[in-house]
Amino acid sequence: MTGVRRVAITGVGMVTPVGNDAATTWASLLAGRSGGGQITLFDASGFPVHIAAEVKDFDQRALQQQLGDDRKLLKFANRSHRFALAAAEQAMRDAGIRPGPDDAGRWGCAVGTGMMGAEYQDLVETHDHAAPDGELHPELLLSDGPANDPLVFCRSNCAAGLSLLTRHYGILGYATSVHTACASGGQAIGTAMKVIRRGAADRVLAGGFDSMISPVGISGFCLLSALSPDNDTPERASRPFDASRNGFLLGEGAGFLVLEEWDAARRRGAHIYAELAGDGNSLSSYRITDSPPDGDGPIQAMRQALASAGARPDDVDYLNAHGTSTGMNDRSESAAVKAVFGAHAERLSVSSTKSTMGHLIAAAGAVEVAVCALAIRDSLMPVNANLVEIDPDCELNFVRGAPRSARIRMTMSNSFGFGGSNSCIVLRNPEEVDGLPGRAHMTGGERA
Amino acid sequence: MRSPRVVITGSGAVCSGGKRPEDIFAAICAGHASIAPITQWDVSQWPTRLAGEVADFNPREMVDDRKLHKLIRRTDLFGLFAAGRAIEQSGVAAYRDALAAPVAAEFSDRTGVYVGSGSGNFQNQYDYFPLLTASGGDLPTFGRELADTVNPMWLLRSLPNNVLGHIGIKYGLKGSNACITNHSCSGSLAVIEGLEALRTGEAERIVAVGHDAPIEPQMVLYYHRLGLIASDTLRPFDIARDGSIFGEGAGALVLELEASATARGAPVLGEVLGGGYVSEAAGLLAIRDDGDGLARAIDAALADAGIRAADVGMIVAHGNGTRPSDASEAAAIRTVFGNAPPPVTGFKWAFGHLISAAGILETTLALTALEARLVPGVATLRELDPDCAGVPVAATAQALSSDIALILCRGFGATDAALLVRAG
Repeated sequence: MTGVRRVAITGVGMVTPVGNDAATTWASLLAGRSGGGQITLFDASGFPVHIAAEVKDFDQRALQQQLGDDRKLLKFANRSHRFALAAAEQAMRDAGIRPGPDDAGRWGCAVGTGMMGAEYQDLVETHDHAAPDGELHPELLLSDGPANDPLVFCRSNCAAGLSLLTRHYGILGYATSVHTACASGGQAIGTAMKVIRRGAADRVLAGGFDSMISPVGISGFCLLSALSPDNDTPERASRPFDASRNGFLLGEGAGFLVLEEWDAARRRGAHIYAELAGDGNSLSSYRITDSPPDGDGPIQAMRQALASAGARPDDVDYLNAHGTSTGMNDRSESAAVKAVFGAHAERLSVSSTKSTMGHLIAAAGAVEVAVCALAIRDSLMPVNANLVEIDPDCELNFVRGAPRSARIRMTMSNSFGFGGSNSCIVLRNPEEVDGLPGRAHMTGGERA
Repeated sequence: MRSPRVVITGSGAVCSGGKRPEDIFAAICAGHASIAPITQWDVSQWPTRLAGEVADFNPREMVDDRKLHKLIRRTDLFGLFAAGRAIEQSGVAAYRDALAAPVAAEFSDRTGVYVGSGSGNFQNQYDYFPLLTASGGDLPTFGRELADTVNPMWLLRSLPNNVLGHIGIKYGLKGSNACITNHSCSGSLAVIEGLEALRTGEAERIVAVGHDAPIEPQMVLYYHRLGLIASDTLRPFDIARDGSIFGEGAGALVLELEASATARGAPVLGEVLGGGYVSEAAGLLAIRDDGDGLARAIDAALADAGIRAADVGMIVAHGNGTRPSDASEAAAIRTVFGNAPPPVTGFKWAFGHLISAAGILETTLALTALEARLVPGVATLRELDPDCAGVPVAATAQALSSDIALILCRGFGATDAALLVRAG
């Protein structure tokens, strides 16, 4: 590891179906309180699946206040971008630092962005005007409302979320938006780590955001039969690794981290949750929607992440699994965990917090890395809720019933996406890095 | 700490100008622009009609596997085509297939894929129009009739990372990867992230691709309403310039650690020296007038490559033809190169702006230019805008001043990328 710049996590922010900030989300995850319910964002009663894990009571006024003069930017923001702005601000405040005139060029931003398109109401309006018979008449587009409204274009642009964040915070360094479906958030965090390691930035605001709880979003997953159809028991619908699992529960939200070069973070006396210690990244190259049953693909990502962290499998105490609650994923991931950890798999505590908050798609990886940071801080591992009968193909040491209390040396977080991208992120307890607790009082350092 | 050398062993491209970098480059040198009225829909009543469409578009020519056509979109066809040509030229897959099984598996694990992808397309959502008509705007009916009306593979067809996944499956590549959805800088960033994966040992060789197909009615209309589309001709740096013109297609490169290329006796087309990438924090559509972001990106690329500004022998400008972008780009070039910049050219006038594919397609052409040892002219240039003074761009060909090219790229979200490549 000599010569490699270490990366510290010094700020955490979350907007999730189980809490609109990191503290509330964390408390819900420890208690196994589900965010699942009937869809309220639109009338989903006729859909094959009409349950999801929605963000609840999101405070739009607080967001406007937070943005100050930049509240005018909200006209460029869709639902997921609002979650991103709120979660990013939490992370910045938590870290107690933000870009200034002297260092804005050394700040980066890396985000996992969801699939973008026109919002449903705009699509309906364009349909009614320019495609009433079901087929687009391009000449009618010329007089269509949404098709001539640049704000509709802006809100649906792939760089929209990124540009809101860089503009609001004045970030002048490396700024990127990535999309590898459900691996997006993890890949964004991994990209940020590499950007700091190679010296292209000293601090990066990194995270993911998504909201697909819309008629078109939910349709895409319904058509693939990827969602749990347990419409009467939404809080039990997501049960990763359970023998009776039957699909995932669609969630939404955002997770953000402030990442800093380690020594700079220590010098300013920042609270360090963990070292962002390793990133692994592979392609399954099997099928677009599945991982292979033997875990090939995820195995390489997990091994790379350990190598990138300079760690051995038995250094890891907690795995936040991708654990989507689909038949294929959980079986493949379990096989990969056994292959990578061998005998240590019996001691490795595993849970999928998707059991509680659902699947946040492009935000999932970022939120789950944030969860790992909190687990290290509190020496607590959140539960894999709804696990009644472990699938014999998924025999791992799951955290069930109550959170598990134990000092955590390292965590691992998996995210696997449609398209075959696998992301694995490893965090290290700060004490394992330099023997100092998260909040160290360095001589000459200033308290945040 | 000296970075290992990263060489280019394969190159592929498709756009309205042709289906090989050499053909596209020949058209540029001949002063031929392949910009024409759009044929994908009736534009006779449209206020804006021009684009660089791939002529005689044939999905089978792009991707032979007909079963795949139902699972991907036009933009993906371009990306898979260009990637396939680059992989074939490099011989990477053929070399791997001749290895013994365990060695081949290791080779695949050490081969990455980095894609810059166009995202936010509108046309794929039109697949829901028949359902909206059938349900008469009633959401419960929409939900009930969904499965009878919409292609079950709709979500998969719409994935922005399809090219990444399908290159992996087709060629059995399993290494590190990314799909970058960062508007016009996506293709350049695929090269930069791939370069870094090689330097840090994450992979020994990578395929980098950028692809886009922005010529769809709603997208063209937005750019027109935003005042970004030229009335008749894309004239970068010209006093009469009035906008850009869409193109479509893809560019692809295979990058390898020199040791990997040498070990398998691969042809070396060139070398990637370095890259730089920054944000201007100006919002989605705005850019700074002073070119500060682009100048910082160029400085970062020069520092990354360990060379001086005076070492650059040719600049391939972003040159998208809009008034603010070209003027601020000229300012950035003056800032970095002072009064002695190398010859400057741009390629978009010939085949349009490929958005996510622009930076990497233009890198394949920069390599061709370095090999041909000439800086092609910008044939549509008539009179240099005084706001762009100091930029040595010409309507006719110029001589290279070294074997190093700088390729510039700028995108929505106010981002700037700079790449440096050297001839093989």
